[in-house]
Amino acid sequence: MELLDLYTLQQSYSHNGVMLCFNGPLTRSLIEEIGNALRSYMRGESPSTALDVFGAYIEMTQNIRQYAASKGWTDHRTTATVVVAQDKEGRYAVSSGNLVEAADGPRLVARVSALAEMDKSQLKSAYKEQLRMPRAEGAKTGAGLGLLNIARKASLPLTCSLRPLDNGKAFFTLIVII
Amino acid sequence: MGDLRIDGTSSTPSIVCNSRMGLLEMRGDSYPENSFEFFTPVLAWVENFLCHCDQPLTVDLYLLYLNTSSVKAMMDIFDMLEESHRRGRAVSVNWYYDKENERVAELAAEFKEDCSFPFMISQNAG
Repeated sequence: MELLDLYTLQQSYSHNGVMLCFNGPLTRSLIEEIGNALRSYMRGESPSTALDVFGAYIEMTQNIRQYAASKGWTDHRTTATVVVAQDKEGRYAVSSGNLVEAADGPRLVARVSALAEMDKSQLKSAYKEQLRMPRAEGAKTGAGLGLLNIARKASLPLTCSLRPLDNGKAFFTLIVII
Repeated sequence: MGDLRIDGTSSTPSIVCNSRMGLLEMRGDSYPENSFEFFTPVLAWVENFLCHCDQPLTVDLYLLYLNTSSVKAMMDIFDMLEESHRRGRAVSVNWYYDKENERVAELAAEFKEDCSFPFMISQNAG
């Protein structure tokens, strides 16, 4: 097995202000545990900022689990990469990466791009409209509400990227600046 | 009519529904993955109380963070209260928050926009 160069990893994390990083199967209890750690790291922050960062983290990770469940993937196959970092200006970046079906990728990117172009009042009306939509049997409408909520809390437009993989899957990354 | 008591966890609020007092109280964070399932007994209690009792209903909330699926469940509760209020029933909501945490007050204010019954948003005393 190739040895991990932890020093390089540590240097890279420190350089990028990474407070918390997770990679692996994302279970319901892990979301809670990591969330608790995130909250305790942010104890010195204003409660509103801490709540916005925590809220973005929860919606992003629960969206990933909902997406995986909608595909019938097991807990073990529901893997994600989650990073919370603070930049030099004190802003927080919550990033998440997960596998999606290649066919679903463009729809996700289009959704995030559409939200990125909306201003706060457009986001609020879209959020309220989505909230009033009847519950669908599938998980799709729920995910829409989560993304809208994240876009409302973010201080910059949402950004995302999609990297096609060769097994019919793609790696989707979403970055939220609070 | 029965009462309902649900103990809180780190991701779910503690809930007390008392039919004799006409009181529904919720405290804590709410971000379960299955919010709809979690709130189903509470929604059923509220519906039952509004149908089968005629006392006023007071909803006291000390909720902090709500994930979007909990927000949707709360909206379902407020919609039931609104409907009863329009039929002349006395219903009210009191949402308490800590003054440092203005996000909670903003969340409560957004719910209040769609309600015409008495909806108080107040800072916690202590």
